[in-house]
Amino acid sequence: MASQTPAVVMDNGTGYSKLGFAGNDSPSFVFPTAIATKAGAGSAGSSGARPAVANKPSFLSGGGGGSSHLSAKRGTEDLDFFIGDEALAAGSGPGYGVNYPIRHGQIENWDYMERFWSNSIFKYLRVEPEDHYFLLTEPPLNPPENRENTAEIMFESFNCAGLYIAVQAVLALAASWTSSKVTDRSLTGTVIDSGDGVTHVIPVAEGYVIGSSIKSIPIAGRDITYFVQSLLRDRGEPDSSLKTAEKVKEEYCYVSPDIVKEFARYDREPDRLLKHTVNSPNGRSVQIDIGYERFLAPEIFFNPEIYSSDFLTPLPNVVDGVIQSSPIDVRRGLYKNIVLSGGSTLYKDFGRRLQRDIRHLVDDRIRASEARSGGARSGGLDVAVVTHKRQRHGPWFGGSLLGQTPEFRSYCHTKAEYDEIGPSIVRRFALLGGPGSS
Amino acid sequence: MLLLDYQNVLIQSLLTERFSGAPPASIDQVVSDFDGVTFHLSTPESKTKILISINVKCFKELVQYGAQEVLEREYGPYIVNPEPGYDFSVQVDLENLPAEEEAREELIMKLALLKRNAMAAPFERAFDEFTKLAEEASQYTSESAPQGVKEGGDVMAIHYREEEAIYIKASWDRVTVIFSTVFREETDRIFGKVFLQEFVDARRRVVTLQNAPQVLFRSDPPLELEGVPGLNNTGEGEISYVTFGMDHYAGDILDIHSITDQSYVVLFPRHLTPQRRYENISHIQTFRDYFHYHIKASKAYIHTRMRKRTADFLQVLNRARPENEERERKTASGRTFRVQS
Amino acid sequence: MSSPFEPPQLFNIPLHLIPLHSSHDAGLSLNLFGGSGCPRDRYAAPPKQLLPSMRQHLQTTRQTKDHVKADQYLWELGNFPILPLRTRTRGPAYTLPALPPNTADIDVAPDSESYDCVDEILSLFRANVLFRNFEINGPADRMLIYGTLFVSECLGKVKPTMTARDAEKALINAALDNFAVPGDVSFPLNQAFEPPRDRQDAESLRQYISQVRQEIAVRLHARLYPGGEGPSKFWLSFTKRKFMGKSL
Repeated sequence: MASQTPAVVMDNGTGYSKLGFAGNDSPSFVFPTAIATKAGAGSAGSSGARPAVANKPSFLSGGGGGSSHLSAKRGTEDLDFFIGDEALAAGSGPGYGVNYPIRHGQIENWDYMERFWSNSIFKYLRVEPEDHYFLLTEPPLNPPENRENTAEIMFESFNCAGLYIAVQAVLALAASWTSSKVTDRSLTGTVIDSGDGVTHVIPVAEGYVIGSSIKSIPIAGRDITYFVQSLLRDRGEPDSSLKTAEKVKEEYCYVSPDIVKEFARYDREPDRLLKHTVNSPNGRSVQIDIGYERFLAPEIFFNPEIYSSDFLTPLPNVVDGVIQSSPIDVRRGLYKNIVLSGGSTLYKDFGRRLQRDIRHLVDDRIRASEARSGGARSGGLDVAVVTHKRQRHGPWFGGSLLGQTPEFRSYCHTKAEYDEIGPSIVRRFALLGGPGSS
Repeated sequence: MLLLDYQNVLIQSLLTERFSGAPPASIDQVVSDFDGVTFHLSTPESKTKILISINVKCFKELVQYGAQEVLEREYGPYIVNPEPGYDFSVQVDLENLPAEEEAREELIMKLALLKRNAMAAPFERAFDEFTKLAEEASQYTSESAPQGVKEGGDVMAIHYREEEAIYIKASWDRVTVIFSTVFREETDRIFGKVFLQEFVDARRRVVTLQNAPQVLFRSDPPLELEGVPGLNNTGEGEISYVTFGMDHYAGDILDIHSITDQSYVVLFPRHLTPQRRYENISHIQTFRDYFHYHIKASKAYIHTRMRKRTADFLQVLNRARPENEERERKTASGRTFRVQS
Repeated sequence: MSSPFEPPQLFNIPLHLIPLHSSHDAGLSLNLFGGSGCPRDRYAAPPKQLLPSMRQHLQTTRQTKDHVKADQYLWELGNFPILPLRTRTRGPAYTLPALPPNTADIDVAPDSESYDCVDEILSLFRANVLFRNFEINGPADRMLIYGTLFVSECLGKVKPTMTARDAEKALINAALDNFAVPGDVSFPLNQAFEPPRDRQDAESLRQYISQVRQEIAVRLHARLYPGGEGPSKFWLSFTKRKFMGKSL
């Protein structure tokens, strides 16, 4: 074990970054992908401001002695920043501005990202990048230029020993191998990745994302929180802050098979209505009631109409549409292995409801085409939604799983190869975990 | 973020969460730290008993210099038999924690500092030796000092990384700590040189730094290391040696600031207290990581400027479109003419 | 490097570009009589299921039981259905048998002979009121729309501080208040409702709707004050929601 350092697995998402070491079953750190920098100073990459440069090189002026402390204070803006939860804390105070270097899954501000990584590696993970291999993730359809930029930073700034960049959806598929439902370790399946900001439905065939069929849905965790909040407000609960709504969402919500019946069930069994105690930081504590939001909130995936006025397609229909628009020879595999990933798929019975609804759509279509064909019988189509324990950090866990395999290092590009060929080397990676590997 | 923490942040946050009365859960995490140190946090027996094991590359050497005693002093009641594959293990029982909030926090910190404490032994020994030697030396003038006192103690070598080592030597007027450090990357070597040269220069230049420990930087083994076996003395410049001489007045060493495009040293003189000695040990241990961290931060800074510059150039290029090309126009009647600019 | 390359705008496709099924798509809309094959003709055979229910019902194994006999389905005035009611108020409605003693309103099973459209309106209300689109697939849907909107109106009359008695009074008043019927200028849903043929029909319709309103008011009151305590804030929380964005 000591002879080989564990690979570092970093999954930087729009909302949260998951950092840790391969072989572990959960990331060591999960914190917001946020960086707080001194407002107005430092290097605001996109705002067009020039990075601060000390007026005079201090090795010339430093001889004066007394001034050196002042110039020291002036000159260290580039190190005066925080990441993660500390960034949010600093950002709420004066003097710091919070930035999110990743937008819509893609890195937008490389200056911030470089510093974010540097802090992640040195302050949180506490590793010398020269000693470790790195497994990073990227969203589907990440342009190759972004990969090259990533490689430039990882190899040239950090001198990391080796690098592999994997697509999040593929890692999420790999993560589902831990489920007892999954018997063959295939990299074909449909990934439903629902985080905080957006939900993606991504078909993957044999480790390759079918880019043209990807659909995104503008309903995800944040919307559920807002919806819970609006329900709490409608009822006039004494505390309906966003934080409380989030807590309610995480602790009490589940997916019901049928909301009409669920309402009736609440009438018959009043103990389904719960109480929740909110402890505010000033020591006050308030009790609020928890009611129908328990099952109504996640319902917005299945009936977006109750929440949004512009997006109305239920998630099962979107999934069905995505698979139907994929090449015909992989559809069977896509239906058979629908894998959930991300925090907003964790509601109890989410997978069951989704599976049932998709199955209904599929069965209806089969019945209709059987009727049209005049007597031909279909062999049926297997629809299976896979839920597993590692869903929350699916891509990270998949990375951890693949990163600990003995052959992982042979799939990486090493520093030496990078020096030889240049950034374009990362345009291609052998498919990790694909056919041929153990 | 100028300084690196001494404690392992993950152990700290994990224990803080566990200690706060969260429902017990099983843990099984392998965690790396700088210098090839590996921790293993697990709950092998029951969910309330957390086992923390550490694997240090140079543990044998550390034991020679008294690591076992230091660790026993720090972790006495918590020590258990080392887990196979690891060098040292402690176990805490969540059902048997100190009652007071403060004591708990102290315990968390102590556990998070496992690596620091394991590596502290040779430093402590050197400081003790120094005190002793200094006392002995006070009885003599520098000329009349007997052989042993004048020369000081033996050189303690800690090969904490594959190709790098820390050498510590106590003598009657100072403790000398020498880092040998390797740069595999050429760019890093240049950055490193600038940094290290700044250490040397800053002390000479800035009045407030006069109390700082003496820093020397060279690429051939310093005199103190004469006769130490296994030194790579090829003089090719791949290995650099940084020497810190710490005497009574040595301040809080090294706050290297990477600023703009150079670096220098700021030192805060403090008084000689046990606390300062403790801090100095923590500080000097992280020197190498700190040093490398700042080299990388400087690179990041330079990259920022490069990106900015590229963006500027692109802007210039975009502006450099040719003027509206002159082209022939036709009137309604079919005659052609040129627009006069 | 900040490259001039712009990533494809995959993840911020404006919403309106994401293909939506039209709300008239059978899979999406609140379609009601179980899709094709159900009689829709006004005076043809009665619909298989009296009242519409939501889409999930189509997907679940809800049995479509003929709990309304053909002869119970009386007639329509304009295109407002005159459905049987379990009520003690006098009026033109065909009266269903009263509940057996010791049975609460919420316990009526859909296949019971006493189950009526008011039961269904009230049990669907909390779900339906969340929806903005509703496709009318048969005359019975108009009853559901009218009923749901009237429940909303009733909820608006009940203040959180009211006692059961005060609320009862307020609800009965609301039910008996001057109200508009299809065909009246002040009726808000004239697009979907046809006016009655003549004055006599209009009068019958008014009497029938009054019966429905009173019955809804009484049964809603029972739900708002379960065991005499209330009003239930879980019901009142639906006050602000507007079914189809409309109100009576």
